[in-house]
Amino acid sequence: MANEPVDRRVDRRAFLARSAALAAAGAAGTAGAIALPSAAGAATTATTAVTTSAATSVAALTPARRAPNLDQPNAYARPRPEAVADPTELTLAEAAWMIRAQRLTPQRLLEAYLARIGTYDTTYQAFNVVLVEQAMAASRVAGRSRHLGPLHGIPLAIKDNYYTRGVRTTANSFLFEDFVPPYDATPVARLTANGAIVLGKTQMGPLATTRATTPAGVVTTVNAWAPANPRVDPGGSSTGTATSVAGRMATSGTGTQTGGSITAPSNAQNLTGLKPTMGRVSLHGIVPLTYTRDHPGPLARDAKDAAIMLAAMAGEDPQDPRTQGLPPVPDLITAATPVRRGGKVSLRWRTRIGVLPGFADGTSDTAQARKAYLTKLASIPGVRLVDVPFPEEWDLLTGNEFNNVRLPERSEPFMPYLRENLPGFGVSVLGWLQGALLGGNEFLTGQRAKLLLLERVLDQIFDHCDVVVQTGPVPFDILGLPEIAFPIGFTGAGLPIGTILGGLPYGEDRLLSVAAAYQAVTDWHWRRPADPPASAADARRGDTLKTRRSVRAGAADPARGRLSADEVAATTQ
Amino acid sequence: MPPTPPTDAELDVMIRVRLASLGIDLDQLPAGTDPDPLTGAPGRDAALASLRSFVRGTVGTLAGYQLPATAGADAETADALSQQHAPMLYPSISTEWRR
Repeated sequence: MANEPVDRRVDRRAFLARSAALAAAGAAGTAGAIALPSAAGAATTATTAVTTSAATSVAALTPARRAPNLDQPNAYARPRPEAVADPTELTLAEAAWMIRAQRLTPQRLLEAYLARIGTYDTTYQAFNVVLVEQAMAASRVAGRSRHLGPLHGIPLAIKDNYYTRGVRTTANSFLFEDFVPPYDATPVARLTANGAIVLGKTQMGPLATTRATTPAGVVTTVNAWAPANPRVDPGGSSTGTATSVAGRMATSGTGTQTGGSITAPSNAQNLTGLKPTMGRVSLHGIVPLTYTRDHPGPLARDAKDAAIMLAAMAGEDPQDPRTQGLPPVPDLITAATPVRRGGKVSLRWRTRIGVLPGFADGTSDTAQARKAYLTKLASIPGVRLVDVPFPEEWDLLTGNEFNNVRLPERSEPFMPYLRENLPGFGVSVLGWLQGALLGGNEFLTGQRAKLLLLERVLDQIFDHCDVVVQTGPVPFDILGLPEIAFPIGFTGAGLPIGTILGGLPYGEDRLLSVAAAYQAVTDWHWRRPADPPASAADARRGDTLKTRRSVRAGAADPARGRLSADEVAATTQ
Repeated sequence: MPPTPPTDAELDVMIRVRLASLGIDLDQLPAGTDPDPLTGAPGRDAALASLRSFVRGTVGTLAGYQLPATAGADAETADALSQQHAPMLYPSISTEWRR
């Protein structure tokens, strides 16, 4: 006979799983799962009514803590000589080494970024606001306070759908253009609790739907590798974060991905972007696009930097049930540290890398880069390439129609806005109207299809390999599986070519280990775009930016082009 | 014999009625096909054309999909979904929960 009552033996996680499966629509209302500005405002009103301090209630809402495994020797990298000469060239791990060794102050690092922002961001338009005074104050505090770890004093670019306390969070929309959150999103709170500095909020696709434009569709942010040509896709919707990191205006940054919004801009701009497993990073305090598929994650300069960022952002959050009951976060930073055996770079763990049919077929620049990538991978000890098939019905189950099952998750939480202000959705409105037309039957069939797709991916792909190349981000976005994007070459026109590797649930450590080993034997990730032309006036503005309180983006230039609602619907995430 | 597919006009009525039943008035959008110059929101005729395409494509495809019967299922009940795996909102999380 058991020595405790039955309520102590019930598997709570299994109960949660059943509840989630049977009450799909109800899950949308789960406490803390949805971050819409109106709800945030209501929460603030309620909490401030019973407390004497709004700050007290904010602290209760946003759990921030030092991340275990973050402050360790592998998080610090001795800088390359060329990076020592220009702090904006430092990777996060290198900047962390410099700051810990007291060879660089957080203030000096920030000022270097501000100089570049002032000089070049009128061209790049990566930021919608730069928090000069706030960041300067934080850097001064960091300069005289106890060292908190590798993020200590590191300026970050934060996508504008992450709540930032006291700073407008618009999700680049008319609907939220005046919204000022009362608390930080959990990932922001965790980054700053570990010493990071919020440098600014970045331009993004309207409501996270496409490349960065104004809410009315006028193109804003350009690709840092082709600043004179706005038609070159910078990748969306975490466009501004990507351009800010690629343009050396921030050390690293945050994005969100629903259908390629971290991996696409990373691949377009020669960065390493990591979309973690669903639930690995809390979505509390992030304006939702699709609450079962939104994934917060970093856009960084290499695998080590992505690991540091994710190590700080990840972990269970009492405000987000999607994060609960999952495996503990492993040592991502060590995973992203290349190992050498016999003087040669080797994989940390023996890894079978699955190659899907047709991945490197053809003669295009991309195909050539993919062939060279596979050849280089195969030369690393510990790698075994294996051909894997597409699972049954792959095209259908990962195609546009089944992908669209996410759309009711847009309309349902936004119903008050749809009733009162349809034009307020601007150029992105069609996805929200489409969602309102999808019935419950079709929605549930789509949910069943996701599970079927996952079982086929696990049985028909991952029975043969540990990680698998991806021909696009959407299949693993549908399933909530992790993906890492990183550079593998350039086109003849000098534009970056990236690739995506997908992993098993919670397999971020394996993905980082493969990307880190590849980056230890290649130099694509070290290449930086040339600076755009700048006038003397631009340079003067850069020098004086540190005296300003904050700087908002200038007016969008219609000459950069404009996306129509149909174009947004066709490229929506 | 399958029902006759709806015409554009019939779909327009269905779309408007469905949205109206949710409290959404499509007439908030500008008339015609041209977008609102200030907000970029599409004209309502353009929106209707896009929504018709969505209903014919996505709704039709999802509604018409027959999941494969679970291995060993009785042939007489194979067409029904009632004995198949319960749908999951978060497949990656569900794999952990089911271990």
